[in-house]
Amino acid sequence: MNDSLSPGASEWLLAFADDEHIIGARHTSWIGLGPFLEEDLAFCSIAQDELGHAIALYELLGVDVDRFALLREPSEYRSAWLCELPCEDWDLALVRHWLYDEAEALRWESVANSSLEELRFLAARAQREERFHLDHAEMYLRRLAHGDAEGQNRINAAVASVLPTALGLWEPVAGEPEAISDGITTQSSAELTVLWRDRVEAKLASWGYDWQWPTEIPDQQGRTQRSRHFERLLRDLQAVITVDVDTVW
Amino acid sequence: MKTYEVFLKKDGKTQFRHVGSMQAPDAEMALPLARESYARRAEGDLMWLVDRDDLIVADDDLIAPNANKPHRHNDGKRVADHRRSHRDKEAGE
Repeated sequence: MNDSLSPGASEWLLAFADDEHIIGARHTSWIGLGPFLEEDLAFCSIAQDELGHAIALYELLGVDVDRFALLREPSEYRSAWLCELPCEDWDLALVRHWLYDEAEALRWESVANSSLEELRFLAARAQREERFHLDHAEMYLRRLAHGDAEGQNRINAAVASVLPTALGLWEPVAGEPEAISDGITTQSSAELTVLWRDRVEAKLASWGYDWQWPTEIPDQQGRTQRSRHFERLLRDLQAVITVDVDTVW
Repeated sequence: MKTYEVFLKKDGKTQFRHVGSMQAPDAEMALPLARESYARRAEGDLMWLVDRDDLIVADDDLIAPNANKPHRHNDGKRVADHRRSHRDKEAGE
């Protein structure tokens, strides 16, 4: 581990890294299954960007990336339940992709002036990629909003289904106050939630979807609890590395 | 869906080369999808898309008559043979 980071800073970075890893893994499961070939490639390319961010963030933590990413106990992960959701229908995957990338863009903005130099560099690179990720999601949601009733109904239902879990992404880890006092990040989850809600609300309103903010948000207990979908996902992710953990692949 | 032809120019080159075709709902969506389908590993530094409907396509009849004109092809063999025999003669002197 990187000893120059405080425990709080490490936990905060770990939550970000695990989100990028798990969302990247979920997005890549669309390879070969996307609605058409070009979208299949585009979505999995976005997934690779997220996995690239995860690797870079794990490296900041000073860990052996593959082992650390794949061989922890579920309780040691700090992923948000939004990332863990299977989203096996395209409408769910699309809405989750948009809601996550709105959040991710804000998180990169919040570390653009981090006290950690490597994180500032990483943020500059990631922000260029995030612009494209958001454009990609929004192109679909805007078109579906102006398409037929089936598309509108499916997106309405997907937003209603994913939004409570999406709000849970802003539940901070216990180490967040320390990460902020160290200057690793400059904005709290509470501050980012407000910005995120504004952006989500403005876009959903401009597209004309039928939606509302949920009142019940699942409690992830400072991200120490994994969702019911996590263990199956982790088992799938471990399928190769557990064949022989010491092999260099 | 519409079909687009994708052209890329490599860094340091001047010509664009056709790299393939793709489908997209419209021009705005075609650009990012083309980027991910054909340029995600930085295969080029500039990209053109052409809507296949906008291509000017020649009739077969226009192209076919030029198919069998060996006198227009020069494989360089006769010149190469001539140079070789000249070189061999010089070496022999």
